[in-house]
Amino acid sequence: MSDPGRDIVGALAALALMLTNGVVLIYMLRKVLGRFHLRLGPMRVGWRGLLQTPMDVVKLLTKEDFEPAMTDKWVFRLAPLVVFVPSFAAYLPLAFSPTLRFAGLETGALFILTALAIIPVGVLMAGWASNSKWSLLGGMRATAQQIAYEVPLLLALVGPVMLAGSLDMTEIVLSQQGAWLGVLPRWYVIPQFGAFVLFFIAALAELNQTPFDMSVAESELVEGFANEYSGMKFAFFFLAEFSNSFIIAALMVTLFFGGWLVPFVDPGLTAPIAPVVFLVKVYLVIFVLMWIRATLPRIRIDQLLAFGWKGMIPFGLLWILSTGLVMKLAEVTG
Amino acid sequence: MAYGLGLLKGMGVAFRNLVRGPITVQYPDERLALPQRARWAVIPLWDGSGATRCTACTNCVRACPDGILDLRVTTREDKTKHIDAFDYEIGACMMCGLCVEACPFDAIAMGQDYELATSDVERMTVSLLSDVDAASARREKPASEAVAPAPGDAPAGEA
Amino acid sequence: MPERRSHSMPEALPGSIPAEGAVVASRLPVGLRRVPRGVDELATEHLVVNMGPQHPSTHGVLHILLELDGEEVIAAEASLGYLHRGIEKLAESRRYNQITTLVDRADYASGIHSEWAYALAVEELLGIEAPPKAQWIRALMGEINRLASHLLWYGTFGLDSGAMGPFLYCMRDREALLDILETVTGQRMMFNYVRPGGVAMDLPPEAEPMIRKFVAGFPRALSEFHDLITGNEIIQARIKGIGTIDAQTALAFGMTGGCLRGAGVPWDVRTAKPYGPYQQLDFSVPLGTVGDTWDRYMVRMEEMEQSLRMVGQLLEGIPEGEHMAKVPKVLRPPAGEAYACVESPRGELGIHLVSDGSDTPARMRMRSPALYNLSVIDEVLPGCLIADVVVIVGSLDIVLGEIDR
Repeated sequence: MSDPGRDIVGALAALALMLTNGVVLIYMLRKVLGRFHLRLGPMRVGWRGLLQTPMDVVKLLTKEDFEPAMTDKWVFRLAPLVVFVPSFAAYLPLAFSPTLRFAGLETGALFILTALAIIPVGVLMAGWASNSKWSLLGGMRATAQQIAYEVPLLLALVGPVMLAGSLDMTEIVLSQQGAWLGVLPRWYVIPQFGAFVLFFIAALAELNQTPFDMSVAESELVEGFANEYSGMKFAFFFLAEFSNSFIIAALMVTLFFGGWLVPFVDPGLTAPIAPVVFLVKVYLVIFVLMWIRATLPRIRIDQLLAFGWKGMIPFGLLWILSTGLVMKLAEVTG
Repeated sequence: MAYGLGLLKGMGVAFRNLVRGPITVQYPDERLALPQRARWAVIPLWDGSGATRCTACTNCVRACPDGILDLRVTTREDKTKHIDAFDYEIGACMMCGLCVEACPFDAIAMGQDYELATSDVERMTVSLLSDVDAASARREKPASEAVAPAPGDAPAGEA
Repeated sequence: MPERRSHSMPEALPGSIPAEGAVVASRLPVGLRRVPRGVDELATEHLVVNMGPQHPSTHGVLHILLELDGEEVIAAEASLGYLHRGIEKLAESRRYNQITTLVDRADYASGIHSEWAYALAVEELLGIEAPPKAQWIRALMGEINRLASHLLWYGTFGLDSGAMGPFLYCMRDREALLDILETVTGQRMMFNYVRPGGVAMDLPPEAEPMIRKFVAGFPRALSEFHDLITGNEIIQARIKGIGTIDAQTALAFGMTGGCLRGAGVPWDVRTAKPYGPYQQLDFSVPLGTVGDTWDRYMVRMEEMEQSLRMVGQLLEGIPEGEHMAKVPKVLRPPAGEAYACVESPRGELGIHLVSDGSDTPARMRMRSPALYNLSVIDEVLPGCLIADVVVIVGSLDIVLGEIDR
């Protein structure tokens, strides 16, 4: 297959994954949240509610897509796209198996973070253009929060990248092969536990998830910046939120949990089922994210920002410093 | 910033509740049983021979705080009463039970039917009795006038 | 239906009607007393936002106008009346035994206490007392109602802070309580159970095992609730030191209940002006120290424990006897007035009845505790962030039904 052909197929496959993932995740969220809350979740539309999300998609497609009167028309219309397109672009570097990925990017990890960094612009556009004070508050909170937590996310990424020696997602996974003393898999979560905690917390903040969902504080702002959106535009925001969850979970699994590697088994043997292993791990991480969402309250915006700037960034810098020192010492002492 | 143990303990509680399972009763496939005293729509009671026990004394009409009972009676020359209509505005009823408490003849009771929702305005007014002869008031009267009879006691005869 | 009474309008208080030619500010936003102003001659406007009346976290249809500088509240004013149903006026044309159904609906989260206060007021006018068994049953149902109301408060408090789990867990326990109430009184919320002279019906035999089962199972649930919110560091960071209402402010605004006890003032109607069997029960009244949101929260959690203790004691100690004193079917209290108050979950709930000797009262006034508790937001909210507004209003435990009546 020629290169442009291969790229187009890759892009279409990424889009297909994004949409399917959205549908699956919405159902999973409703069911998981329901079970945590002693209830059942959707049960009536289709067998055990499986048709609920497709029907919701149909509903969103057919809903009246109205715009409130005094919105800034073009900013209002472009905002969902500015949130959706980078989220789609961030799928490209993900590595599902030694050979299966959408596009071979040597700077995969960095590319993902860069794409995610464009999203606050869209959120701010949505909040401003909605011509509603509550949306504006939500949009400004979201922007402050997401921009503030991009730095700890990046700092947390540096540790595993230093250990792996490359930004390419496949390389990072391959460098986590094997096991120490034959017992512990060589996943970076063990030596880089501090970076893992930092990444986890920063990921929650980037995703606007509880406990950092001030911008979508349901009990204060109803839906925050996406208050005034309906129909397909709202579907874009909603879908982007779930696809961001997938991307961040995939990044977390790649960096810290060995990607598609199965512990104690030779990678060559598991290559055919590698995508399945990868997806299972990603959905386990997403389950933990939903578990947190079902339980924890949210932090206030000023505490959130203080925690980010005054707590996480110094810790991240120190962690990188100590990682570098340990690596140098290991190199010097052989 | 020792954020840690409290949050994890809370998450443990959530997990325990996840494992314990849902408490949902899937209505309308499953229904909970109502206790005996549950007060829902007012229903007329009949005596052993299937006739109404209502003597058209209008105690219930006067007892209702919102005035939703409407009893239309014609008194014949021999002083017997004929109930033309006994209408009950079920849409406005707050199921307080004062009418049932006020009735000295156990002619009405609080039923247990709660599936009363309707989209038809006509069904917001129900006819409890229509075009029947009122029972004679000179039969034995239960309880003294001083204390209101308790609606939770088992009604004599069939409901 | 008895004819309605009309009363002549009272004379205007001095100063309430502007004098001839006075300048009345007409451009002010409705409710706020000042026009939002800029800062330091820059054209930075303060935002005026409406929190409510449709809002996921005002407890009922509450409308608060907030003047905001970014996220910080500069001024706050509550605009009430969205749930006004004319209960006090309706009471003037209802007979005394029908008014129980009205007061039920004012504070719908604690109907037993409202009915109890009303029954006490009528009994004072009639000069009778309920038999001991009725008093114990009233207290038992009252404490069960207090637990249900506090559980509802707990769940919505967690929901306001963003934790969805506690809300549904507390509803599970509240369902058990509402089942008990339905078994005894016939309804889950609008009980019509406590009547002047006693209670409408005796306890049915199936109520006792249900109550025992609840008492046995609730301590575990309570410890789970403590794990979920009290021990949660995020909540602690969010509510400690927030919304401090010291004792002097609380007393000045007429606050009662958990809000006042959170500030350290040991006023509980059950111990200060005892009614019912409370003098024979062994319980303690929890107190706070500083009067911040944390104190009010802990006071109510402690009150749940004490209520549980009392339910156990009440169940053991119900005396034999009648459940209702001998009262006529149509009550005609002699002319006079009476004020009776009880400790509802929100504070001192009082009913002031004025009787003119006929079968309907001349005036019934409800002293609703939540109204006085809410009035403090004018003083407390300026200086907080929006997130704190939600948490503070949640900690006041208001029910709009009794604020607006």
